[in-house]
Amino acid sequence: MNPTTTTQPCCPEFARISRRGLFSGALALAGATTVVGSAAITASAAASTPADSVLVVLSLRGAADGLSLVVPHADPVYYSARPRIAVPADRLLAKDGMFGLHPKLAPLLPLWESGQLAAVQATGLAAPNRSHFSAMEEVEDADPGSDVRTGWLNRLIGTDAGRSPLQGFNVSGGVVPTSLYGPEPVMSAGNVASVHIPGDDKWDLTKGRRSSLRRMWDGNSTSLGTAMKSVFDALDDFAPVIDTPDHADAYPRSDLGRALSEVARVIRGNVGVEVITVDQGDWDMHSDLGTAERGWLYNNAADLAASIAAFFKDLGDQRSKVTLVTISEFGRRVVENASMGLDHGYGNVMFLAGAGVKGGKYYGTWPGLTDDGDSDLLVTTDYRSVLAEVVSTRFGASTAAVFPRFQPETVGAMTSLQT
Amino acid sequence: MAVRRRLVLGGAATGAAVGLAGRADAAPSYSPAHHKGAPLLSPRARHLVGRFSYGVTPALAKQVRAAGGARAWFAAQLDPASIADPAADGLRDWWPSLYRDATDLWNRQREEIEGVWEVMADYQRWVLIRRIRSRRQVLEMVTELWENHFNVPVNGDAQGFWRAQYGDVIREGALGRFEDLLIGVITHPAMLINLDNVSSSASHPNENLGRELLELHTVGRGHYGEADVKDSARILTGWSVDMWDTFQAEYRQKWHSRGPVKVMDFTHENADADGRAVTRQYLRYLAHHPATAQRVARKLAVKFVSDTPSQALVDHLAKVYLDHDTAIVPVLQALFDTQELAESVGMKVRDPGEDLVATYRALDVRLQRPPEGDGGDRYAANALLWQVDGIGAKPFDWPRPDGQPIDNRAWSSPSRLLASMDVHVSLSGGWWPDEGVTYHPPAWWAPKLPVRFDVLVDHMSQVILHRRSTAELLEACCLAVDVEPRERITRDHGLIKWNMFRLLTTFLDSPAFLTR
Repeated sequence: MNPTTTTQPCCPEFARISRRGLFSGALALAGATTVVGSAAITASAAASTPADSVLVVLSLRGAADGLSLVVPHADPVYYSARPRIAVPADRLLAKDGMFGLHPKLAPLLPLWESGQLAAVQATGLAAPNRSHFSAMEEVEDADPGSDVRTGWLNRLIGTDAGRSPLQGFNVSGGVVPTSLYGPEPVMSAGNVASVHIPGDDKWDLTKGRRSSLRRMWDGNSTSLGTAMKSVFDALDDFAPVIDTPDHADAYPRSDLGRALSEVARVIRGNVGVEVITVDQGDWDMHSDLGTAERGWLYNNAADLAASIAAFFKDLGDQRSKVTLVTISEFGRRVVENASMGLDHGYGNVMFLAGAGVKGGKYYGTWPGLTDDGDSDLLVTTDYRSVLAEVVSTRFGASTAAVFPRFQPETVGAMTSLQT
Repeated sequence: MAVRRRLVLGGAATGAAVGLAGRADAAPSYSPAHHKGAPLLSPRARHLVGRFSYGVTPALAKQVRAAGGARAWFAAQLDPASIADPAADGLRDWWPSLYRDATDLWNRQREEIEGVWEVMADYQRWVLIRRIRSRRQVLEMVTELWENHFNVPVNGDAQGFWRAQYGDVIREGALGRFEDLLIGVITHPAMLINLDNVSSSASHPNENLGRELLELHTVGRGHYGEADVKDSARILTGWSVDMWDTFQAEYRQKWHSRGPVKVMDFTHENADADGRAVTRQYLRYLAHHPATAQRVARKLAVKFVSDTPSQALVDHLAKVYLDHDTAIVPVLQALFDTQELAESVGMKVRDPGEDLVATYRALDVRLQRPPEGDGGDRYAANALLWQVDGIGAKPFDWPRPDGQPIDNRAWSSPSRLLASMDVHVSLSGGWWPDEGVTYHPPAWWAPKLPVRFDVLVDHMSQVILHRRSTAELLEACCLAVDVEPRERITRDHGLIKWNMFRLLTTFLDSPAFLTR
């Protein structure tokens, strides 16, 4: 059922994430999507304020190999370290003197060439962490040393003075990702179409389900009562999204394609959602990563590119608001292993696409590769510097509030706010 | 429309049309009916038993009465060996790999027979179903508390090989002395693997376990410094596991960091190459530390009383803990008798696991043993794990060593409520899971047929919530299924034919059910 369980005996923890995704997929999306409501939405129903900016954070779970996606073709170590799985230089797209894109990222070339897609190489955590779970946790919390459990996206929403009843939607129905955890409430449902109260269905002719729940909960001032009130308010505000047409047919028929089609639908609904996270698994390639002609990474890269390209095409009049960032918990080793795969490493690439991105360019400081057995791509740009630039340019948010005790360095990949 | 139809139905069905026309504009009366069912526990007993169980069912209430009341029941619960528990004892047989040792599990994974992550999913199912079926409800509650306190996530590279036995150590020690429990878990291979002690040596100490032992498991922040953490880690060096070979536990004298150690007020020459004795002394010291007593007392108070226990209560429990050589039972007994507990009715939110388990118990859903292999995937005993996942927390899935939250706010998100309602509706309808499971048919919920609706509601309230119905609940039920309070429910009524799930889920989605 799940290819990762048979090919990667060393990473059961990650395989389990994927399996959970598949099982919950029986009821919902296999790719988990989380939608966070804008703090700009007022409490009254159908009075939502459109968001000025929308941030989509796409997590490539399992640790994608950034060196295969944005290939350092001018670093000779890349080819000596990967005799079987390296992508030949003559196959690369959008080449500059050092880097080129994997050939299966071709659907993204129009974005790249029109200056709406950029890549930042050698990004990551300040220190290596090779455990999937704790690295994800660290990436998403983004406040090392603090024992307060709030994720950076929750803090981002919290920088706004308003409080929305549309607090958030975890469209997988699963565990709230760490990035969203915190004082701002989050909602979940199977997908856009199922964002409703279970039992509040078309056969409930008198709308008795809602009035029944309100009878039991309206006078309830406990934490649960407050949450139930949010449910009622948020669902009313969310109604325009449910009336927005579904364009899933224009996407790859993959978990990621389906997830991004749901995200686009939420954005087109224009109910004021500001932050959306999408988790997509299956990048943990300890063995049989494949080649430039076929295989696991080849297929994933194709899906990634086609899904993102379809997503931006689908945004319609909302496109000018939307910025997409990709992130992975860590990168992979420089040297291929005996199984034609790559073990857990350190530095990685981040993509930035859409609104505010100064695209068509590779950013970051290349540290150079070394090829002793355990060597990593070193991190020269803290991933928080990239996120901080997006947060400050697109939302005008205080980076100190979102990334406490962190001094961001300039990456230069975003245009400044409201020019 | 609806009002007119009700009038017609009411008139035709009851024949008691007197005054109907005159009352057409008046709100119906929702004064609850009284159904005379099995005797109910007193509200106080229901509260106490509910707080220390995964839901008061008619069967549990009967056990409480047989024991002689809530206090006597609780006293017996604190001696779990005295309670026969056949429904839970045999459960492990459903997933035979839970009996396998670490080496065996590792070999099976290596040979691609069975991955440890599959065994761990079965372990999660096993604990959930234990909680549903066991008569040792207090033991299950307290075990869950400690297993979260000493959280070793089931999802990990290697601790899974030892994780089921780790749970056994906690269950065996849950009602013993905290000191013994602490020694048992900190030196257990699952913990040693999870917090990296397996690779911690004199030359390359790893502080992970040494730090969490102080920060999470015992005294908490504010009582030690970085030098203490370093010596805490040094004391623990040597406790290891033969990783990726046999996975057997081993003590490596060569790795033990010898020489004087000092952690807070604990000092030791630590001259012996074998550091096991100093480890035990150190853990005993920590277990008896007043700051540990405060943390243990507070944890129990937050789990079983309220999110904001008084300092007086915490101090009282901490004193009992220290006075009784860290024994847990006297602390629980002291807690059980406090006025603060008695007054905390409904103040704890059921977390996702408690909600799911209580729902299976309340609906009296019967589970069958699933066949091994893919054929068992849809069986309820397996599928219930995806249900609790949907609400937001599978057992011991919390990725951090601090364990999943036990406060109300963490489990009071709108997302959680929608997800809980989703599970309640699907179980109320008997729609999912749909294999290896028996649900009661709709008519089972009626004490008799025909029955007046308000009587039915009062009966169901007693069975599901173990309390009489209220006007509010009756009105909520009437709204949910569009039935008048005094309407006569026959076998052919729409409520029995297709709408019972709406009525059942109204009870499960009520404030009374979502709290304990």
